[in-house]
Amino acid sequence: MAKKVFEEIRGITDPILEGISNGWITLDAGEYTENATLEADVAIIGTGAGGGTTAEILAKAGLKVLLIEEGPLKSTNDFKMDERQAYKDLYQENAGRMNKDGSMSILQGRCVGGTTVINWTSSFRTPDQTLQYWGDKFSTKGVSKEEMAPWFAKMEERLNIAPWAFPANENNAVLSRGADALDIPWKVIPRNVAGCWNLGYCGTGCPTNAKQSMLVTTIPSAMDEGSQLLYSARAERLIMDDKKVTGIEVTALDKSYRPTGVKVTVKATTVVLAAGGINGPAMMLRSKAPDPKGLVGKRTFFHPTIFSFASFENEINPYYGAPQSIYSDHYQWDTVDGPVGYKLEVPPLHPGLTSVLLMGHGEAQFDEMNKLPNLSSMIALLRDGFNEDSQGGAIELADDGSAIIDYPINDYLWEGVKRTHLSMAELQFAAGAKAVRPAHTEAKWETSWEDSKAAINKLDYSASRALVGSAHVMGGMTMGEDLDQCVVGSDGKYHYLDNLYVIDGSVFPTSIGANPQLSIYGMSCRLATGLAEKLTGKKLS
Amino acid sequence: MTTPLEQALPTTRRGFLQLGLMGTATLALGSTVATLTGCTSPLEKNSEYKFLQPNDREFFAALIPAVLNKGFPGELSHDAAIKRTLLALDDLIYTLQYHNRIQMRQLFDALSFAPIRIAAGASWASWKDMSPKQIDDFLVGWRDSMIPQKRMGYVALSKLIGISWYSQPESFVSTGYPGPPTKIPTPVAGKISVSSMSAENS
Repeated sequence: MAKKVFEEIRGITDPILEGISNGWITLDAGEYTENATLEADVAIIGTGAGGGTTAEILAKAGLKVLLIEEGPLKSTNDFKMDERQAYKDLYQENAGRMNKDGSMSILQGRCVGGTTVINWTSSFRTPDQTLQYWGDKFSTKGVSKEEMAPWFAKMEERLNIAPWAFPANENNAVLSRGADALDIPWKVIPRNVAGCWNLGYCGTGCPTNAKQSMLVTTIPSAMDEGSQLLYSARAERLIMDDKKVTGIEVTALDKSYRPTGVKVTVKATTVVLAAGGINGPAMMLRSKAPDPKGLVGKRTFFHPTIFSFASFENEINPYYGAPQSIYSDHYQWDTVDGPVGYKLEVPPLHPGLTSVLLMGHGEAQFDEMNKLPNLSSMIALLRDGFNEDSQGGAIELADDGSAIIDYPINDYLWEGVKRTHLSMAELQFAAGAKAVRPAHTEAKWETSWEDSKAAINKLDYSASRALVGSAHVMGGMTMGEDLDQCVVGSDGKYHYLDNLYVIDGSVFPTSIGANPQLSIYGMSCRLATGLAEKLTGKKLS
Repeated sequence: MTTPLEQALPTTRRGFLQLGLMGTATLALGSTVATLTGCTSPLEKNSEYKFLQPNDREFFAALIPAVLNKGFPGELSHDAAIKRTLLALDDLIYTLQYHNRIQMRQLFDALSFAPIRIAAGASWASWKDMSPKQIDDFLVGWRDSMIPQKRMGYVALSKLIGISWYSQPESFVSTGYPGPPTKIPTPVAGKISVSSMSAENS
């Protein structure tokens, strides 16, 4: 019988509560009873990897910063490793976000700190091939491998990013063991942690402050400099005067994320959009911001993520231990722009999320859930956006102005999905799995690689049969100097407005080909430093 | 401000045109007919539910044990486990954004309306009167359907029920998950959460 590794966690400080107690200016828009106006030098929409990084840099440069966050302010004391609470408090749509046709589930953060509060800490620099592709195809300037290296180095130091120094948990060891058996190269994942307890609950908000999310690093630092934080506040639309943004109309939200009826007007000299690749473009569309080529919201990318389950004789305890510590890029870069490449990793398996990933019902699903301690899973992240047949999704608006993610999985991607099922099953059997089942409604548990291969080759690859997930939201506000494809300049300025900057993962012209947080940190550090220099007239770097 | 009920009803023309869950005009028409003819049951006044109407709850109360099988009711009584799962489902669906919330509303309205149930491959009998076999046949039929909207319906229903139940600590006994460590918060200035703190500040 599986046992708890830790019974109790106590004695952990709460840096947000301490900050508020020491006089930080945090404003809960949901508690406002009448309309209000706030002013700042720079208003930043979004508090995730892009907004958090930008806030610290601008605040330290002496600018008066106001952070605007749609989600609630939750902090260390609230992080109880409880899936119910975490999905409700920290995830977009209670972890139920999906694309338009329901064929892809999307995990994305909605809280102060954004997805950095709930991600699994994997931190990779943007691959050289990706940066090269952007320069070649989108005429990005200043983001070559050499030019980006110092920005990545700076953020690696800021967020204590280093390869995981402890042994991988059993779930991750399946990947390295299988790879060794097949002579496939693998590596240890760099993580943004300091004093990690190796618990396994990165996805429900780090209970020990070990994860160096924006919530415990850049946001506290910006707040110490006198920045203000407005939360439960959705940036509804930009207020524009010709080519200038003069302010932001903000909707106050109650505890159920519904408008309270109160409006807050934020006036700022400069506005930074850092709301991610779904909500950022949706805000631009609601604003009817100038977009002569109709490119806003196009080319959103998700690393469509494919799952394969394996059962083992020994206990895996896939819910405990650092969730991601091993990866393989063996299938990633055979070609840059040919059939889709993919990165192999491992997901943690907590019971609520696992029941979703298994995608089934009745006795068959119970039999799987019942063996959770002996279950392992592998994931493949498809690198979308590098081929003519992979143009990503488009953000549309629903009647109430919320985002709809139109991203059908096409044949180009389905071909890749099938290859990932094959390579993951082979690796899982090579690691000693007793049985393997790809996450597909038609697939059964097979007990040998040969049987599994034959079965996968017969599966029908279409929507709502093979499970497709995503935890990475990129693109939608393409960066580059080619105006036929791009809406944001290489300095982050929106091409068609004078004082709007886009600083987050939405500027990526393709997916990254790796978990994107360090790509967002590095790019944001570069863009925000440039913006701070421009606004203050001082040299910072 | 709109009420939960107004937000839930698929009354807009655009919403109707977007309706594709069943993939057939009959079904699309049916869900609207169900709504317009009052064959749906609006939320009661002062209901503890924000989205799920009595018909929806009856539907889920039948579906939950069929989807979860021996994983249900864990350490709770049957009724307590149904209630717990319904409240979690209600919270989850209420938090979905407009497009998906409307799709759910249309799905539930359609499936609560007997003529649509038949067209959708389920039984004429009301959900509470269906045998476990009839419910399983319906689920399997949708799972293996050639119509993408039915498959989407299957995946949505099974996922929603799964995450709503298996996130409950009383379900852990059926999975072997030992559960998380207990977190003992450290109070700051006598407070343990931001909400208790900011309420005082304002």
